[in-house]
Amino acid sequence: MNRTREEKLLNPRPGSKIAAAVEYGIDMTQLVENLRLTPAERVRRNDEVVNSVRKIAAAVSKAKAAKAKIG
Amino acid sequence: MIDLFEVARRLSAAEVEFVIVGGIAIRGHGGNYITEDLDICYSRTRDNLKKLAGVLAPLEPKPRGISKELPFVFDWTTLQQGPNFTFETLMGDVDLLGEVKGIGGYDDLVTKSITVDFEGFPTKILSIHSLIVAKQAAGRPKDQPGLQVLYALQESEAEGE
Repeated sequence: MNRTREEKLLNPRPGSKIAAAVEYGIDMTQLVENLRLTPAERVRRNDEVVNSVRKIAAAVSKAKAAKAKIG
Repeated sequence: MIDLFEVARRLSAAEVEFVIVGGIAIRGHGGNYITEDLDICYSRTRDNLKKLAGVLAPLEPKPRGISKELPFVFDWTTLQQGPNFTFETLMGDVDLLGEVKGIGGYDDLVTKSITVDFEGFPTKILSIHSLIVAKQAAGRPKDQPGLQVLYALQESEAEGE
């Protein structure tokens, strides 16, 4: 039986490297989602995530600074 | 704001000879790896250094981890000074590697890469197998999550089952 790439990732055979990766903590649903994108879209998504995380970090820093000023 | 995709796209548009390695390559293969820098292995011919510098210069590259007060001039002759550079640029961090441990230099990598379309520009990224070899050779604990992703991607694209 030839399973699709998505089937292999989402339902790994016991003892497989995919199963080991799941055990390690890798979220296979994210890999499946990424594989549905083009390589260009995958890299653009990386940039978007990093920029979002940086915005959140900046907002947290700003909030902490404001709190310290009040306290 | 980083735009590593655009940096890579510009390099390809200028026909710079380079192969994407590291986190962006894992990402390109479908990994969920998130990275803040673009690592490339590049050809060190004079012509290529000039093309590479021509793309990076407008992005105002500065060496990372060095005081901003120190004078730094970036042009193609800067790239003649050594094989490896870690730059911060207006579009994000860009690391230039003359060679990759366990694989070799650009000429070795180019035969172990796949070509993908970056919005109209063919762009080379290191193959899953060679990324695994490189990360195993590096032997760094921080590479373990990326290796697990690569093992899973490699197994998922294998024939059979």
